[in-house]
Amino acid sequence: MTTHELEQLLLQQPVSLLHRLARGRISRHFRSGKRKLIDLLLQASAENRPGLESDLAALIEEQSHRQQAAPVEQAPKPKVHPRPATSSATPRPHRAEEHGHHEPPVSLHEWLSGIGVPQAQPFVPDAWQVDALAKLAETDVVVSVPTGSGKTYVAIEATKRAMQENRTVIYTSPLKALSNTKFSEFSRLFGPGQVGILTGDRREHAQAPLLIMTTEILRNLLYDAAGGEIDVRLDTLGLVIMDESQYLADPERGVVWEETLIFCPSQARLLLLSASIGNPQDIADWLTAIRPNPCALIRHTKRSVPLRAGYMHPNEKLTPLFRTAGIPYGQPHLLHPEAKRLFAEYEEETGPSRSR
Amino acid sequence: MPPSIHPVDLVATLRQRNLTPAIIFLTSRRACDEAMQSFEHSQVTLPKTQQEQIARVLAQVTEQYPSIAEHPLIDTVQRIGVAAHHAGHLPSWKIAVEELMRTGSLDAVFATTTLAAGVDFPARTVVVTQSSIRKARDFTDLTASEIQQLAGRAGRRGKDLVGFAVITPSPYIDLTVLTKGLTGQPEAIHSQFVISYPMVLNLLKAHPREQIQSILAKSFAQFQLNQRTAVLETKLDGLRAEMEPFGPRVCSDWITQWQVFDQARKRKKPRGPSARQESPDVAARLHFLTPGRVVGLIRGRGIILRQYRSKGQHAPMVTLLRDGGSLNECPASIVTQVFDRTFDCEETSAYPWCTPQTLEQLTHHLLDLPPRLPILPILTHQNEEIPLDSSIIQTLGDFACPTCPSRQACQRDFPRASRVRQEIQRHMKSIQALQTSLWHRFQERIDVLERFGYLNATAQLTADGEWARLIRIDHSLLITELIRAEAFGAIDPPLLAAVMASIAHDDDRPGSFPRGSAGLVTLLFQVRKLAESLAPHEATPMLRADVAALTERWVADQTLTWIGLARLTTMAEGDMFRLFARTIEFLSQLKTLKATHPSLAESADRAIAGMRRGVLEELP
Repeated sequence: MTTHELEQLLLQQPVSLLHRLARGRISRHFRSGKRKLIDLLLQASAENRPGLESDLAALIEEQSHRQQAAPVEQAPKPKVHPRPATSSATPRPHRAEEHGHHEPPVSLHEWLSGIGVPQAQPFVPDAWQVDALAKLAETDVVVSVPTGSGKTYVAIEATKRAMQENRTVIYTSPLKALSNTKFSEFSRLFGPGQVGILTGDRREHAQAPLLIMTTEILRNLLYDAAGGEIDVRLDTLGLVIMDESQYLADPERGVVWEETLIFCPSQARLLLLSASIGNPQDIADWLTAIRPNPCALIRHTKRSVPLRAGYMHPNEKLTPLFRTAGIPYGQPHLLHPEAKRLFAEYEEETGPSRSR
Repeated sequence: MPPSIHPVDLVATLRQRNLTPAIIFLTSRRACDEAMQSFEHSQVTLPKTQQEQIARVLAQVTEQYPSIAEHPLIDTVQRIGVAAHHAGHLPSWKIAVEELMRTGSLDAVFATTTLAAGVDFPARTVVVTQSSIRKARDFTDLTASEIQQLAGRAGRRGKDLVGFAVITPSPYIDLTVLTKGLTGQPEAIHSQFVISYPMVLNLLKAHPREQIQSILAKSFAQFQLNQRTAVLETKLDGLRAEMEPFGPRVCSDWITQWQVFDQARKRKKPRGPSARQESPDVAARLHFLTPGRVVGLIRGRGIILRQYRSKGQHAPMVTLLRDGGSLNECPASIVTQVFDRTFDCEETSAYPWCTPQTLEQLTHHLLDLPPRLPILPILTHQNEEIPLDSSIIQTLGDFACPTCPSRQACQRDFPRASRVRQEIQRHMKSIQALQTSLWHRFQERIDVLERFGYLNATAQLTADGEWARLIRIDHSLLITELIRAEAFGAIDPPLLAAVMASIAHDDDRPGSFPRGSAGLVTLLFQVRKLAESLAPHEATPMLRADVAALTERWVADQTLTWIGLARLTTMAEGDMFRLFARTIEFLSQLKTLKATHPSLAESADRAIAGMRRGVLEELP
């Protein structure tokens, strides 16, 4: 295929296909319009033209399969989802509509309903929080739950229990700013004398039963202890809480978390608090392998406050992002037709080649 | 259409829809500041009660952190109920904004996506304007974990029934990335275990070398490597099963046996200049391409003047006299016909390869040739099987294969069996590599430390190693080498702080800075030279002289106020604060060397004391 032929072929394809083709080849390809995108594609693949051609062929084939499959389902469509009158500007076929939907997309009114402040209720811990605390009484625990689920409650309760048993608690966080926030928060809760802080440049109440520090400091303490110079009362250490444990995968600092966990004294319980990650079971299995007690995993993906996703157009028009009010997990293609139309319009109008 | 929604309109819409308080994630600090500026001309003002609430919360925070009182943004924030929160701000201001959000006094906060992890306050709504993030000079798509971390700030427990994540397009957006991230599974995390010099020293201090391997085996890195090993091992089992039918035959290791035989059979004659394989017709013609021979070419005719081989490729070449009298050097394959006609040619050893008289005669002959000439019929040898060379047969000795009864089966199965066997060997090698890679890296580190004299030949800490293990920060090798080179002999606290700042600072944000003293410039030159010589063993720090000068100024001039310092540079206050905090961290590591390097520890202590004033003293 000559460059010219290839260019013509690319020109015949819809922009969405070109964007899929550009993924991995061109950085920030979504900023370019069709013309520019084709130029960039040809440029970027100068060395590997056959690769581009075969990918293109595969995509075209995939699309033609889709179009063959589509008409069967699309036939009764228009009655179910009457398009808004303004949609005449987008003649292109909507891909997501091939997947059969039986329910009409959520309306903005429905989507916005339910905003408000819940009635004040006496605090009742969630089942997973109770479960985590119960497990922690016996063994190490890894908690992986979505952001804002109430991990701090578990940390506070666990700390209370350990302090009642006259055991030292160490609470580590990845950022000094977070350490400071926690320090003021815990000082308010437990009383100022009960909480100490150790960071790279700050040291207050170093003898308090609850010590807040950055993970690096704990690592250094453990190294000193291993070298024979015990600084903290590591022998009375009852509980180590590591907040934001997903930092284990931080390219620069992750190693510190590993070192800390490897050298953490075996009589101390571990409580790892982490945001949702893909493989918390791996971490639990690892800790089970290196620590005396099997490590329990508390994991759930349901948010305590439900989340809805919306789309706001530059002209301030707000629509739901997905067809359902909540987020359709595992089904990214279930876009709300209105949001899709608006975004397509946005891309058409802001693409550099199309700006008039 | 504007490329993105105007911040004032955005906040107005959110307010109107009852979607506040909101966190609006923008691409950069500058975008946040510009968004704040765009409110200056807006007519929106908050109701009195909310303004008072903001004032009350701010007054509370100011009690703890007095520096907030002078913050230039206070009035704007009170009037419009919107604030910016990014790394360019002082921590005290960020604490104030967080407190305002926590009490629900603000309607919106503009924050940078980069600092999403540090944004530890919830809101009803989160607005996302981008799908990629700047990581080390390059934009990468946000991962599902990151997107969920951002969106997760929406919906305050106990204060909201629902949370909202709103996407609004900007030039930095790819909707697919965001929808996939919102609906997808967060990514699995992978160990980032690296073996640093302080780690080696500290481990060897506490454990003998023999135990290290078992300690490394306890790492998450090894755990994940073992998982990969397990996958490989199941594959290996499958391959072994595939190998079953190719068990021992007449000879126990028939694959190797056959391979040797096969190779010997195919072995070619030793390569020499003449051993090059030409196509059979060219080879056959070569004998006739003698000087004076008339030949037919692809176009026209010519007379051969010389035959030779090209220098690099040993390709057969000829020098030709062509119609029109030109002399050409051509590959012999250009000759298509050999005519039964030769002329006398008196050869010479240099260009034009014959005497001038001959050349003249030949030119004439060429012109006078009749149009048709008799063609020499040339027989070409077609490729025929070359029988096994007797010398090869001799090297094979009493090799069994040629007469073996299973020869045919071996010949048939060999390609597949050999491929499977190679695969098995490859897998076994990778399994071994996975199991020993950490230990190998550890040993490499040991070797370097031994060469520099921190460890002795039996991998025990030397006197230098004993103190060097206390320096547990980035660029530890550079710092310990500087100490050993006595670069900090009797150093002034400001200079020491300045050098530490240049080692500690790892941000390349440009800016204008005050000038450093002459002493600092010379010292930094030496530090850079040493750092470059250590480059094979340790990543070289940025060693920015400008941030060093700023630190020097702050420590040297004790009358300088924070605001005065901020006027000397374009560096953001938050960056200045972080630079100094990190420098203090580095200096406090030097302070631990009190026992072995008392004067250095003393100097570090004084430098820390000199740095801790004003905002740095007030803040946690």
